[in-house]
Amino acid sequence: MIRYSLHKIAYGLAVLAGVVVVVFFLFNILPGDPARMTLGQRPDVQSLEAVRKEFGLDRPVYVQFAYYVNDLSPIAIHESDSMAKAKYNYVKLFSVSSTKSLVLKEPYLRRSYQTRRNVSSILAETIPNTFILALTAMIFATLIGVFLGVVSAVNRDTWIDSSANAFAILGISAPSFFAGIIIAWIFGFVLSDYTGLNMSGSLYNYDPFDGEVLTLKNLILPMITLGLRPLAIIVQLTRSAMLDVLSQDYIRTAKAKGLSSNRIIYKHALKNALNPVITAISGWFASLLAGSFFVEYIFGYNGLGKATVDALELSDFPVVMGAILFVAFIFVIINILVDILYAFIDPRVKLA
Amino acid sequence: MLPLRLLVVLVFFTMLVSCKQSEPDNRTVFTLNLDQGLSSLDPAFARNQYVIWMDNQIFDSLVQMNDSLETVPSVAKSWEISPDGKTYTFHLRNDVYFHDDPLFVGGKGRRCVASDFVYSFRRIIDPKIASSGGWIFNGKVSGMDAFEAPNDSTFVVKLLNPFPPLLSMLTAQYCSVVPHEVADHYGKDFRSHPIGTGPFKFKYWKEGEILVLLKNEKYWEMDGDQRLPYLDAIKATFISDKQTAFMEFVKKKLDFFNSLDGSYRDDILTKSGKPTRKYKGKFQMIIAPYLNTEYLGMLVDTNLAIVKSSPTRDKRIRQAISYAIDRRRLVKYLRNSVGTPGHAGFIPRGMPGFSATEVKGYEYNPEKAKKLLAEAGYPNGKNMPPITLQTSTTYKDLIEFVQGELNSVGIRCVVEVNQSTSLRDLIAKNSVNFFRGSWIADYPDGENYLSVFYSKNYVPIGPNYTSFKNAKFDRLFEASYYEPDNEKRYAMYRQMDNLVMEEAPVVILYYDQLMNLYQNGISGFSTNAQNLLILKRVKKK
Repeated sequence: MIRYSLHKIAYGLAVLAGVVVVVFFLFNILPGDPARMTLGQRPDVQSLEAVRKEFGLDRPVYVQFAYYVNDLSPIAIHESDSMAKAKYNYVKLFSVSSTKSLVLKEPYLRRSYQTRRNVSSILAETIPNTFILALTAMIFATLIGVFLGVVSAVNRDTWIDSSANAFAILGISAPSFFAGIIIAWIFGFVLSDYTGLNMSGSLYNYDPFDGEVLTLKNLILPMITLGLRPLAIIVQLTRSAMLDVLSQDYIRTAKAKGLSSNRIIYKHALKNALNPVITAISGWFASLLAGSFFVEYIFGYNGLGKATVDALELSDFPVVMGAILFVAFIFVIINILVDILYAFIDPRVKLA
Repeated sequence: MLPLRLLVVLVFFTMLVSCKQSEPDNRTVFTLNLDQGLSSLDPAFARNQYVIWMDNQIFDSLVQMNDSLETVPSVAKSWEISPDGKTYTFHLRNDVYFHDDPLFVGGKGRRCVASDFVYSFRRIIDPKIASSGGWIFNGKVSGMDAFEAPNDSTFVVKLLNPFPPLLSMLTAQYCSVVPHEVADHYGKDFRSHPIGTGPFKFKYWKEGEILVLLKNEKYWEMDGDQRLPYLDAIKATFISDKQTAFMEFVKKKLDFFNSLDGSYRDDILTKSGKPTRKYKGKFQMIIAPYLNTEYLGMLVDTNLAIVKSSPTRDKRIRQAISYAIDRRRLVKYLRNSVGTPGHAGFIPRGMPGFSATEVKGYEYNPEKAKKLLAEAGYPNGKNMPPITLQTSTTYKDLIEFVQGELNSVGIRCVVEVNQSTSLRDLIAKNSVNFFRGSWIADYPDGENYLSVFYSKNYVPIGPNYTSFKNAKFDRLFEASYYEPDNEKRYAMYRQMDNLVMEEAPVVILYYDQLMNLYQNGISGFSTNAQNLLILKRVKKK
């Protein structure tokens, strides 16, 4: 078990290293001078040089890469002076020369080229928003989806089944940006006097005189929009898995034993039918984190997706890299957890 | 029993609700949306419109601009310029105070003095700060010692050479005064802890969500016997989807709205630029000149390999391109008449000294375009190699219109769409022959536009993206620095603009206009061709 987990973790680290290499060099191949992008329409030579020096763009690419990896690595070599200590917030392990020491620190993601804000603080601010959005969307999709799936499997080939099916097809085929605009327009604009919902806004509102106000209702529309697609898929998955399970022998046995139909459905059948659904949900969760961009954009919801794409348009390498690394990290972690969880749930999965 | 309980609950709720409403709030909050986001509040990085707008509320400079683009006093109540035009002496007010901040002694904002300007101006050219405003002083002053404060109320700037636009350039937000205690303490993070002397003080900024500025009760500027500003607060949101933002404006959740986007343009405006019946009278609409020239640029330096092989090396072809485009139709159908057809020079309408009669550009004349083509050896465009026009995605519809116009006179034109970042890079490296560009005034002086054609501003040193070189132009350009009289200098500008138009390195498409929408209860707003947002005199009912 431990060997299995270590193997998976090593594999995950290799994936992350690959992401760093690919994204870093991809950014260097792409045309677009980050220094120029930070200077407006009339950059002069002195300013360009100053900016390049500040971001370390005046060095050869491989040197830049080495410095970047050094900044990212939790164990790294940095200057021993107080400025470097304040910048990286490290714990010194031991000196390697008169001015440099080997240190232990959090990965340093640098500052945005565009805003010169610390990337870690951008991520710290946007990630919880996206996380909450993705999580609530997932919970919404799972609860409603499993319920609808069970109902339509139990009522197979009735009008309930076919309308749930039609709904699922609609949900799968409507792209989230399209569904988002429609939902925002209907519930946030046309019916806003009745629903009391806003077209846009984040988790917190700020009153100029009263301060921060938690505005959970701003979560409702983005949550539904983002959850629509997984909801539709979960309905389909639950339905087919349920039908599969319901035709098994042990269900017939349970029926023969005289158990109530609710007990059979929810205790015996659903538990076994949920396996493929869990896989789908775990896979979907990571991609929801990454894929919530359109929803964030349409609803003006301040999340990771919005921050990333804004940065991408402006060649803001540190932000893009930080965001990609974070998403990759989440994917890796979730995959490791799912693999391990699988081994627990299903003994047939080999621990190798 | 039940009805009684219900009654108690009802009474309780009514009390709750009435409690909330018992103190009527007369405080006014001006709301706006910044769809492009806000990269910083540090004036040293005031390189785009929204940073400029917000910095203009928080900070003051030596001088400020009025709606006719004239330089008027601000923190400096008067100034003198030495006869050689190289030394500017400013006399400062003594009643200007910084906003309160714990970093000041006793937490109270201290008085703003001349040495604060020395500090602030040095900060712009300090390579360690790497400000995007370095161009303001780079090449114009000898270095850090060009700024002096002989005493608390006198500030001196020494230039290497005369530069008449200096005063109007000093209205730029880059030249705002910042306190060294705060700027040094926060370093790079001064961007989100701005302290200035302006009419509003910084309160709260959750990036990408909400920015709140509050009234500076101790602001120095008066309107008659009323102390400015009138508003109690400004609240900015950051909805990137323009259509959503527009709907928020329609719902009156925003007091001000300014971006004209294709998705709802026809909803608000008729083709002749009037409000549609649907929105007539629903809000105030202001359409006015905006110092922005939309153009197509062409590389003209025949020493460049890329120019040698292109038909656009021939002046007649460039002129033919300019004659082939019907700008009136372009502005009417693609811009709903927001904009003025570009029939004069590179200096836009709205700029002091602009004259559509004295600077002659190109009007739509397809016959002349065909004639010029024939003279250049390509009758009806026969045997002429296709030319590639580069654009970014945002301007695709505009460029496709141009493509259609060129094709109809026989010039084969291929459109290549690039990401705006890469396109800027390609243009800055002289690697594209024919491209779309725009030039927004950094300061309201024609020199800002003409510097784009000065041969010493070749890329990568400066913004001469068309590699234009003309000895007569250069002589005039240099001479204009020694002409302190505005009218005489403007005449020189027009002469230079005509020289550029004759050589046709640029095709002027249109001079931009701004479209600002305000809710009906808003008054006291200002409209100027720099599109500077001035909120200190705004009132909200």
